[in-house]
Amino acid sequence: MVAEVEQKGRSKPENADGLILKPLYTAARQFAKSLIRPSTIIYPFERLEDPKFREEVAIESGRPIGVGQVWDNYRGVHALNVNTCISCNLCAFSCPDLCIDMVTVPGGDPKHPKKCPQIDYGKCSYCGFCSDACPEGCLSMTTRYELSTPKRAEMVYSPQKMFEIYQRKLPMNPIRLERPANEDSILLDVPLCIGCNACARDCPTECITMIDIPKANPKPGEKPAKRIWKEPVINDSDCVRCGTCISVCPKECLFWGTHT
Amino acid sequence: MALTTLWDVAYFLASGLLYVVSRIIPPLSGVLSNGDLVWGLSALVFGAILLAASMINTIMLIWFERKMLGRFMDRRGAMHVGYAGLLQNFADGLKLFRKNTFKPRDADGLGFYAGPTAYMVTSLLMFGVLPVSTGWSDGSLPLSMLLALVIFSFAPLFIFISAWSSNNKYSLIGGMRSAAQMIAYEVPILLAVVAVVVISGSFDLNTIVSEQRNYWYWGPLFLAMIVFATGMLAEMERIPFDLPEAEAELVEGWNTEYGGMLFAYFMLADYVRALAGSILVVLLFLGGWTLPAYFPAALTSLPLAGIVVLMVKTYLVFGVFVWIRAALPRVRTDQLLRIGWMRMIPLSLASIVFAVFFVLVKCIPVLGCVPSMGG
Ligand code: SF4
Ligand code: SF4
Ligand code: SF4
Repeated sequence: MVAEVEQKGRSKPENADGLILKPLYTAARQFAKSLIRPSTIIYPFERLEDPKFREEVAIESGRPIGVGQVWDNYRGVHALNVNTCISCNLCAFSCPDLCIDMVTVPGGDPKHPKKCPQIDYGKCSYCGFCSDACPEGCLSMTTRYELSTPKRAEMVYSPQKMFEIYQRKLPMNPIRLERPANEDSILLDVPLCIGCNACARDCPTECITMIDIPKANPKPGEKPAKRIWKEPVINDSDCVRCGTCISVCPKECLFWGTHT
Repeated sequence: MALTTLWDVAYFLASGLLYVVSRIIPPLSGVLSNGDLVWGLSALVFGAILLAASMINTIMLIWFERKMLGRFMDRRGAMHVGYAGLLQNFADGLKLFRKNTFKPRDADGLGFYAGPTAYMVTSLLMFGVLPVSTGWSDGSLPLSMLLALVIFSFAPLFIFISAWSSNNKYSLIGGMRSAAQMIAYEVPILLAVVAVVVISGSFDLNTIVSEQRNYWYWGPLFLAMIVFATGMLAEMERIPFDLPEAEAELVEGWNTEYGGMLFAYFMLADYVRALAGSILVVLLFLGGWTLPAYFPAALTSLPLAGIVVLMVKTYLVFGVFVWIRAALPRVRTDQLLRIGWMRMIPLSLASIVFAVFFVLVKCIPVLGCVPSMGG
């Protein structure tokens, strides 16, 4: 009885035709199809970027699906134009994984060394925040995705290495966040400033000029001081809002704010 | 001395070796010319050649399966070690060889180590029995086919021993399944073989093959061949009858606890058995080392032609096994039993009846005639 109930429950009776011959036929067809050339490519020696694969995929799907061609926002290894980098540090600030170190590169003056980002791809999550933050557009993301290496140390790309990638003119990610026009500006808490020149020295865009001002409010009866006091004036249109001046100020008299 | 059989080659090598040694160390020449010593050494050389040949073939068989299975899955299989990955399995073997073999704390040492070893050794014994060409071995065993089947069915015992002694529930279940599975396939296999015996009139594999020089048994005994090959699949524990290994349920079945070289033993022995099983199918049903009459006789009289023909057929049969592996899902125990008892046994009985009929009427129009029953 039990067997009968089971038999009734089945939608189709088990027969050799459907259970054995059909799979055998399917497998044989697959075998014959892939005997000449299986779909799997021999990756390091053949690539999906190769023109023949590109064509094939484009034909089969009717449109390129990111194979061989790159999506607009593909985010691979960075390219860095060392020549236009202004050492503003913004990329390192914006990196959520703290994988950017600013390292000295040749080309700066001894007092004001030129520093460019060095990226540890062992940590990088390819978020692209750094290239969005870069005010000069010199740090961008390319389509390069092959990073494997036997040594962990080789995952750290020096600025020179990323400059080489830049020089190869790989397709680069053209999408950049628009930087808002009326961001906060750098404001000065005037009474605190001691006119030390640190911000003007370190500003990457050299938009800070130190202007002479008389010492404010000399005490009655005192002679005005001989010494000329200085105070930074920031050219707001050149400022890239990197915050370097704030971080170097010894008296913490620079801060973010809005001009009123 | 004509080097016609493998034994002759071994004897030639052994006596040559002893001759060289006795020339280098003259005082030993009296001892070394002893006939028993030459005989013993030739037996060792014989065994060594046989072992090397079967191991190399086994490893090539694994390569063959990997490549073929790759194509079935739209892949390429092993590619990079050696030409088309030919040396990949040697590399894998080397890796396993270098690994530590360790025993679970609660496992039984004797069974744990003896099981794989015995499994390997009994599987290799097969090649001592199977003739692969006319000139393979000198002495012909009158019951070699039965001996081959007996050796073949040792395996579940050792599988069960190693599974039980590794003290793991998955291993144990796998081992028990392996032992229980025998009930399903041993009887049909033997019945299918009876049909062959009825037609050929012999239990000797050499005779069975030479009886097939005019026509192969796969014509008249097609049903028996299907039953035998299916039974062999179950005997080798290959998909779709790999219940004892069933990765989805039993981790790795009876060899769950094994690693390193012991695992390599199991792996190799599995393929040794696959090779032996395919050779057995070829010997019993596909004419062994004979070729149909329309091939020129000059081709078959070339040296080693018999072995090459047999090996080509063997790889083709194994290719069909791989095809089945790629296509079919694993069956359940009850399904296996039902296949064994309700499909395969009636089919093999039918083919026995047909074989008897064939022998009685002597000639059937399409299938040809039974040769003289001299053997
Ligand atoms: S892509 Fe993101 S994680 Fe990588 S360096 Fe740039 S900011 Fe850091
Ligand atoms: S954000 Fe751009 S300009 Fe600034 S340091 Fe980084 S790479 Fe150089
Ligand atoms: S934030 Fe400060 S250091 Fe940076 S560019 Fe503007 S003024 Fe210069």
